[in-house]
Amino acid sequence: MSTRKTINRFATIGGICTAVALAAAGCGAGGPTNSGSAGTSTVNVLVEAGGHAELTGVAEQCKKDAGIDVNFVELPYDGMFNRLSSEFSSGNVSFDVAALDSVWLPSFKDAVQPIDEIFTDEAKKDIFPALVKEANVDGHFIGLPAWTNAEIILYRKDLFEDAKNKADFKAKYGYELAAPTTWKQYQDISEFFTRDGMYGTDVKGGVETEWLAHVLQAGSPMVLDENNKVVIDNAAHKEALDFYVSLTKSAPSGAAQVDWAAAQNLFNQGKTAMTRFWAHAYRQIPADSPVAGKVGAAPMIAGSAGIGGVPGPWYLSVPKATKNADAAKKFIKCAYDNNSMGIESSLGLASRISAFEKYQDKEGYESFGPLIETLNGKATATRPATEKWQQIVDTVLVPMLQKAVAGGDSATLLADAKKQIEDLLK
Amino acid sequence: MRVAERTTHDGGTPPPVVAGTSVPTTTGSSGRQRRGVNREGLEAGRRSTRTLLWVLLAAAMVLYGFPFLYLLFTSFKTPIDTIAVPPTILPREWTLENYTNALGRSGVLASFINSIQTAIISTVLSLVLAVPAAYGITRYQTLSGRIFIMAALVTRMVPPVAIGIPLASMMAAVGLSDTPIALSIAHTTISLPLSIWLMSSFFEAVPKDLEEAATVDGCSRLGALWRVVIPVVSGGIAVTAIFAFLASWNEFLFALLMTAIRSQTTPVVIANFQTQFGLDWGSMTALAAVYSIPVILLTLLLQRKIVAGMTLGAVKG
Repeated sequence: MSTRKTINRFATIGGICTAVALAAAGCGAGGPTNSGSAGTSTVNVLVEAGGHAELTGVAEQCKKDAGIDVNFVELPYDGMFNRLSSEFSSGNVSFDVAALDSVWLPSFKDAVQPIDEIFTDEAKKDIFPALVKEANVDGHFIGLPAWTNAEIILYRKDLFEDAKNKADFKAKYGYELAAPTTWKQYQDISEFFTRDGMYGTDVKGGVETEWLAHVLQAGSPMVLDENNKVVIDNAAHKEALDFYVSLTKSAPSGAAQVDWAAAQNLFNQGKTAMTRFWAHAYRQIPADSPVAGKVGAAPMIAGSAGIGGVPGPWYLSVPKATKNADAAKKFIKCAYDNNSMGIESSLGLASRISAFEKYQDKEGYESFGPLIETLNGKATATRPATEKWQQIVDTVLVPMLQKAVAGGDSATLLADAKKQIEDLLK
Repeated sequence: MRVAERTTHDGGTPPPVVAGTSVPTTTGSSGRQRRGVNREGLEAGRRSTRTLLWVLLAAAMVLYGFPFLYLLFTSFKTPIDTIAVPPTILPREWTLENYTNALGRSGVLASFINSIQTAIISTVLSLVLAVPAAYGITRYQTLSGRIFIMAALVTRMVPPVAIGIPLASMMAAVGLSDTPIALSIAHTTISLPLSIWLMSSFFEAVPKDLEEAATVDGCSRLGALWRVVIPVVSGGIAVTAIFAFLASWNEFLFALLMTAIRSQTTPVVIANFQTQFGLDWGSMTALAAVYSIPVILLTLLLQRKIVAGMTLGAVKG
């Protein structure tokens, strides 16, 4: 009976496969882990996939210097917050060190332990002031910035240096064509290059950070003041929003849907002459891009309050629940000591001022000077320290921006946003 | 061009005849000729219906297959081609670089092994639990059975994220954190309810007379199930197995919440190509293309059984 034989064959194969799978399933193919074991020299580090490369060199050095073995747990950004929430709330963590996005620090401040001993006076001088402030929660340092980022201006050097463009621009606007330093210049240059199927800039309706940088440049704290009072309807927010929206006429249509990836693609494809973008993108322009080798970098533009950017650091923190805190802190110290190794990685970032300065004059690192200037900018500030920040971004700020770039009235939208944020914070 | 029309004896309209061609008459040997024309007409009708069906089939295949083909083509594109605005379908320059990047990334091979382990355990668990459950429910027709099968369906209505975090905590509490076994159990919660429903419908299609005949011949109830019913529903079991395997193979959320170093599966690794600092389309699509190969092979291997399973209910009664 052939069916019978087939079934027996499948049952046998299934049985063997299951037996093998079950036998191997006790540990999994990734190898055993000593997570949470007290006193071991192995630390598990939870890191967003993009940041893994930043710490790989550090981990190798740490093994040599301190005898610490490092296992990395890579997770995609979108799922990492859920994973952290789940493990912190259960009190049973599978990692000894977590790389936390700065916006998550307030949410997890009670689940991680102080690392004050790493923040010596010397260290505090070598870390950007905004980051030192952000890492300090309720009087204790709870995370060491492993790398940081900020938006700077990337522009098409070839177009800016073209003699005809220079002459035409001067004739039309009355001043020399150069990398913009003010809002007005950014508007003029964007308008000038919007021709022949090209656009002067992009407008990102799908993300909020860029508009918040303009708010800082206009002289206001972002969304909440130091007393956590909602100030999103003040004059600076409106001025920044009006400026942001004014650029839509020099940007590709569909601004409401444009996010970081879309804006980066447009620039790398040669569709936009300028972009305000995270500094790491300078080194990530594909070699076969039509703009490769033709891009310049400049500090973020200034408003009435000066240059202002929103830093995007990631912090290394030690969960209270780990039983391997000593080794975890040794790893973090290693990460600080060898911070400049991150610059050699594919992401190419660091957090120490000395690390950036060491590389800023080297070829290929032209974005570091503008990045340092932006991070030291008079108006540069970190995001408000509230546990509700991510919720405010997702449910209020981004939808409001999308309506604004689609033609909504800025004053009305900001007033509505204020009410929604106040409701969220109640 | 003039077209002559005639009426047939059954009132139907024969196919139009183009003027100038030989027109068969209704007398003498012309009867056979006319039947020949009718047959040709029917053939022509069948041909156009078949052509139409083929066109519809091709359209459906393009509709369903295009995303996969696009993924496949993207995996052979250069970095700048993958982000072209507007996008291109075919690579301007073919490259295998994305495959070397993706497969050379640390942890990819381990994630494949983890995915295979997890999917096999989950599939076997689902079948081992679903087959007797479905058989009992369909053959004994009790109230508790009916309540059970409805309750099984209700569990499918709970969003996975609502049970993912508690499940992760439970697995950690029993020391199964970050193991393929824990993930397999979690995946079984997804596949088991629908496996029971699927198997129930397959068992219902099997006439009770078959089992009764087997018991008359000396089989026990379990013997009849194993020797008679299971072979009859083997196609259905293949369909259910494929479904359970796919549910585990492609699952992302539980894998994200419950795995770390030891048991991370490939869907999480694929998602890791999208980072906060950029999206590596080329490597992501290359790994996704490679990851789809085992499922395609499995489907081809069990193709006959799947078709048999799908038509099992059609001969009920």
